[in-house]
Amino acid sequence: MQVNLRHKGSITILDIEGNIIGPDSLALKAIIDQQIQVVANEAEHEEKLNLILNMERVQMMDSSGLGVLVSSHTTIRRDGGNVVLLNLGGNVRSLIVMAKLMTIFDCYNTEAEAIAGIIQT
Amino acid sequence: MGERTEQVITLSLPSSMQHVDLLKVIVSEILKETNFTEDIHEQINLAVIEAGTNATKHGNKEDPGKKTAFQLILAEEKLTIVTEDEGEEFTPKETETEQVVTLSLPSSMQHVYLLDVVVSEILKETDFTEDMQEQINLAVIEAGTNAIKHGNKEDPNKTATIELILAEDKLAIAIRDEGEGFTRREVADPLDPENLLKSSGRGLFLIEAYMDSVTYEANGTIIKMIKYKKTPEP
Repeated sequence: MQVNLRHKGSITILDIEGNIIGPDSLALKAIIDQQIQVVANEAEHEEKLNLILNMERVQMMDSSGLGVLVSSHTTIRRDGGNVVLLNLGGNVRSLIVMAKLMTIFDCYNTEAEAIAGIIQT
Repeated sequence: MGERTEQVITLSLPSSMQHVDLLKVIVSEILKETNFTEDIHEQINLAVIEAGTNATKHGNKEDPGKKTAFQLILAEEKLTIVTEDEGEEFTPKETETEQVVTLSLPSSMQHVYLLDVVVSEILKETDFTEDMQEQINLAVIEAGTNAIKHGNKEDPNKTATIELILAEDKLAIAIRDEGEGFTRREVADPLDPENLLKSSGRGLFLIEAYMDSVTYEANGTIIKMIKYKKTPEP
C-alpha cells in the first residue's frame, strides 16, 4: 500500500494505492491519525479535518482495513470534521455493503462531488 | 514474545513444473524483507529455481503425487535453503486429482503479504472467476491474520500453517495455529447494531460470507474452509 497526501484548499486528500491488507491497516491508521493531530494542533484557527480517502486504486481491503475506516470516521466526526470515500472499487464497495456500513459512509464517484459533499455535511 | 534470530518458512508443493514459478514468487517476496543486494537476490532466485526444477523434474519425474519440499531459513547473516524430493520410485500420475500445497510461517504480520502472494499465484492457475479468487484470497488473509495475531499472538516461535487442497471442483483450505483456541459462538455478531461501529471483529463474519463452507476444529485452532467452483444449491 502506498499513500499520497495532497491538499485542495482546506480539504485533505489521501490517494491510496495497492491492497490494504495485513500490516497496512496500522500504517493507514498512523497516516490518518497524523492528519487528525495536525488539525488539532492548529485548534486556534478553528479548523476541522475534512478528509477525502481516494480509494480508486485500492483493489483489495481486509477487515482490519475496514476497521480503520470506521474508527477514523468516528474520531473525525466527533471532532466536528468529516471524512468521505471517493471512487470505491467493486470489491471494496461490496465489503462495506456486507458489513452494513454503507449508510455510515458518504461515497462519491468524482473528486468534485466529494469536495462539494464534504463541505455541505 | 520470544526473541528469535532465525525465521523458518516451509513450503510443500506437488511436483509440477508449473509450481516452479510459484517458488520464484515466494522466494522474491521473502528476499524483499532481507538486506541482500539485488544482484544476490537474482543469484539466490536462480539457484532456487534450478534446485526446484531438479527436484520436480529429475527427482520426482513430475509425478504430482510426489511432493517437493522447501525450507527457507533466514538468519541474521545468511539464507539457507533446503529442497527435498521423493525421487527413485515412480507412481503413475493418472489417478491424481488433488493437488496439495502446504506453507508454514513464523507468526509475523509481515507474512500476511506472503500468504496473499502464494494464494493469488495458485488461484491464477485455476478456473475460479476473478471475483471468487478475490474472495478466497481475502478469506485466507482474514484467517491467516487471525492465526498469527489472535491465535499465536505474533509470537515468532509459533507457526501458522496453511494447507491448500486443489481439486477438480473445489478448493479446500485449512489454517492451523498454535494458540489456545476460541469458541465461535462467543464471538460477537458484527452486524448487531451495537457492534456496527466497532473497529474490529469482522474477520470470521467475512470468511463465512466469502466461503461456501467454514468449520472450526481442535478448539478453534484449525479453521477449514471450502470454495466450490460452482456455487452449491442451497
